Amino acid sequence: MVAADGLEISVENGEYLCLLGPTGAGKTTTLRVIAGLTRPDSGQVLLDDRDVTGLEPEKRNAVLLSQTYSLFPTMTVAENIMFGPEIRGMPEEEKKRTLVELLDLVRLTKRSSSYPRELSGGMQQRNALARALATNPDVLLLDEPLRALDARLRIDLRYELRSLAKGLGLTVIHVTHDQEEAMVMADRIAVIRYGRIIQVGTPREIFDHPATPFVATFVGQSNFFTGNILCSGHGRTTTVHDDEGRIVFARPSTLPVDSKVVVAVKIGNTRVVKLSDAYLTGTVERTLFEGRIVHLDVNVPGLGRYSVKLPASRRDQVAVGDEIGLNWDVDKASVFSYPEDGLEKELKVD
Amino acid sequence: MKHQDRFLEFINRKGFRKGWSAFIVAFFLFFIVLPTVYVVTYAFTDWDAISLNVLNNPETMATIKDAIVASFAIATIVTIIDFLAGLPVAWMLVRKNFRGKELLDTLIDMPLAVPTAALGFSAAIFWVVNPNPPPFSLSVISSPFLLIILLHVVFSYPYMVRSLSAILEEIDETYETAGRTLGASRLTSARTITLPLFRAGLATGVILCFSRSMSETGGTMIALSTMSRLGVTAANDFATGPTLIGDWKTLSLADPTYTPALAFVSILLIILALVLLVVLKLLIMKFHLPLRKVWPMPEKMLSRGIFPKMKDGSALFFLAMIVLVPSFFIFTYVAFSTPQAGEWGQFFYALGYSFLVAGVVTVIDIAMGIPFALYISKHPDRRSSHVLDVLVNVPLIVPTAALGISLSLFWSEAGMLNGMEFIVLILAHVAFTYPLVVRNVAGAVEEIDPSFEETARTLGANPMQSFRRVLYPLIKGSILAGAIMAFTRSLGETGATQAILGNNAPTAPVYIVSLVKADAFFQAGLACIILIIVSYVFMLMLRYFTKKKEVI
Repeated sequence: MVAADGLEISVENGEYLCLLGPTGAGKTTTLRVIAGLTRPDSGQVLLDDRDVTGLEPEKRNAVLLSQTYSLFPTMTVAENIMFGPEIRGMPEEEKKRTLVELLDLVRLTKRSSSYPRELSGGMQQRNALARALATNPDVLLLDEPLRALDARLRIDLRYELRSLAKGLGLTVIHVTHDQEEAMVMADRIAVIRYGRIIQVGTPREIFDHPATPFVATFVGQSNFFTGNILCSGHGRTTTVHDDEGRIVFARPSTLPVDSKVVVAVKIGNTRVVKLSDAYLTGTVERTLFEGRIVHLDVNVPGLGRYSVKLPASRRDQVAVGDEIGLNWDVDKASVFSYPEDGLEKELKVD
Repeated sequence: MKHQDRFLEFINRKGFRKGWSAFIVAFFLFFIVLPTVYVVTYAFTDWDAISLNVLNNPETMATIKDAIVASFAIATIVTIIDFLAGLPVAWMLVRKNFRGKELLDTLIDMPLAVPTAALGFSAAIFWVVNPNPPPFSLSVISSPFLLIILLHVVFSYPYMVRSLSAILEEIDETYETAGRTLGASRLTSARTITLPLFRAGLATGVILCFSRSMSETGGTMIALSTMSRLGVTAANDFATGPTLIGDWKTLSLADPTYTPALAFVSILLIILALVLLVVLKLLIMKFHLPLRKVWPMPEKMLSRGIFPKMKDGSALFFLAMIVLVPSFFIFTYVAFSTPQAGEWGQFFYALGYSFLVAGVVTVIDIAMGIPFALYISKHPDRRSSHVLDVLVNVPLIVPTAALGISLSLFWSEAGMLNGMEFIVLILAHVAFTYPLVVRNVAGAVEEIDPSFEETARTLGANPMQSFRRVLYPLIKGSILAGAIMAFTRSLGETGATQAILGNNAPTAPVYIVSLVKADAFFQAGLACIILIIVSYVFMLMLRYFTKKKEVI
């Protein structure tokens, strides 16, 4: 089985990198290869230009924090943290100092003699983090570190985890399938699919300039328009039309005239407008009031369902059954050549 | 310090670890599996001897046929009784809460604490017709066949209840609740929803009970001797496969012409046991209980009022009368007998000898069993470890008497029998106790998330450190449980010991057999009690350690 294939990426010191991809994309395998728990069939792992591919996990100083934290159930919070230093034979004085510092850092000083099973999910996560930090790792490998927490805590801990890593100047590789998490936490995101890296870039780059239709919809959800190019080229707005004669506009592209393309627009960038200004028109199928925003499902004939978000203040302006117009800023729309295996397969998440 | 570091460095090397694994697997194959089935080769090398002394001897053939048929019939009936009587009790233990549940839980395991030799004596004096019956005994059984069935039920029953309740605990009760909210009566939903999910537990239970009954020697032999001493002559001619081996081995020490017959019986038993294992596994996994049909009215009626109480009541009555009272009747018997003076020196020598054997065996089991268990449980995807996993069960299902014959043949071919009986005895006991340690430890390791050890490795622990500091504390309870099971099993073993050393083997269970044969009932009873107490102390330790494991 090929879990990760042809994957090449370099991480800077002190960088927070997120590996983002759907379940089964090979993210965890990548981490395990870096940690030395899975041996790659080919390829190399370099840490500080040192080839560690053949090295045992304990010789790499790359610490893995697993989804379930794997806190040793027979040891207390403090014993868990001291596991690494003790194995390395750190002098007693230094060990004590490290322990005090780390307990303080993760706010577990009062619980130092509790057992992991007596801690809440968030405390367990912090305990595991302190244990990982105690060995002063060259790189910290986080495998879905927030997955086991409940929704509210998960969001709070995003910021906490990132600022902790940044404050300590750690190099972090963080695996997640949650695009929002990757967006707010990462310096750079690497989007992985079928064991390959599709795109690497800052969260903004990934969001605004997706490399493929898949990235466009996996990070931030997009609406799609399929058609042929009428007009393209450097510095010129791309014009795309379809068989029904509808015409939409998108940012400049070098794809040749007449080629079959897909235009992707983030649902947040899709606007509800007067019919006279619209690129496309459709019928409102469903409205979902989500509190701050209203989510509309609009049926655009021949193109399927478009999603649009409206601020809650405009809630009363649209109702199910209304005919509405849609458009977007030209430079917010990306153009891709039509995927070989069809659009549906390209967009499928699993 | 420097040397120690270098040594540790060395044993953590990949190359060393590979070599060590190879050694452990080789030990298992050449010291456990191969000797266990070696006797089968006798059929190829000495077929002439077999056909001359056995196949052409109608009398011997008839004896063999009778013994093996009896063994099978007994094992089958015992297994069925165990299932019928064990299911309600397993159900009670898992699904119901009542006062005294803890006590019931403890009582079920009691017969396991009693060495089968003591059980055989205790059950025989309780059941068998006796011209002057001891107080409180029943004295009703005059058929050796029935007696052996009653005896085997006693020590196989706990295995069945344990297997069934283990699987029952795994089955989600909400299935049944769902069935009941959809309108099924208690009986209907249990029968049509939960029972069909039962197969895995049933397979384990059936195989354990069947092979235990097929294999048992000591208790059977003592029960039959007691019966014949009490004047039931039918017991003289009655034999099961394993007791036949025990008797013939003793005869063959003086008259070598018995050897081919001995080998032949052993081969038959081993092959039948292996075939049976496969057949039972397939049968139970493939066989669908034809129980789809529902009879709402009668089942509703049976689910209410007096019927469930009758079912539970009779299951508990069975447990008390058939299993517990006969197991411990020996205490009553000794208390109400007139003491006889006896020669105790020999018994305590035998007891000491048994302890020595059991101790050495347990140490070997642990030293060689743990690495092997780690090997098979850490690479579950490898085909080789899958094969080894199946092979581990072989010594468990092969009747120990046949195993003993096979081993003594193997090691005498290897030139080891003369003057080295002790070593061969140890190896024999290792063969059938080794799987107990491996099963326990491998089971525990499989339960533990490999990410514990992986995390330890990335935190800088080498393989030795991550085992000692992370894995070992988690599986300590199971290691101890396996060790204690191995120890008590070795302490109570008769069949394999006799198969190697004959009736004069200096171990405690064999000595008790000889006491019974010499009509020294009181002494035999007292010796049994001592053996029971010693085993019981170990059993308590087992419960203590396994309890502790659950807390973690």
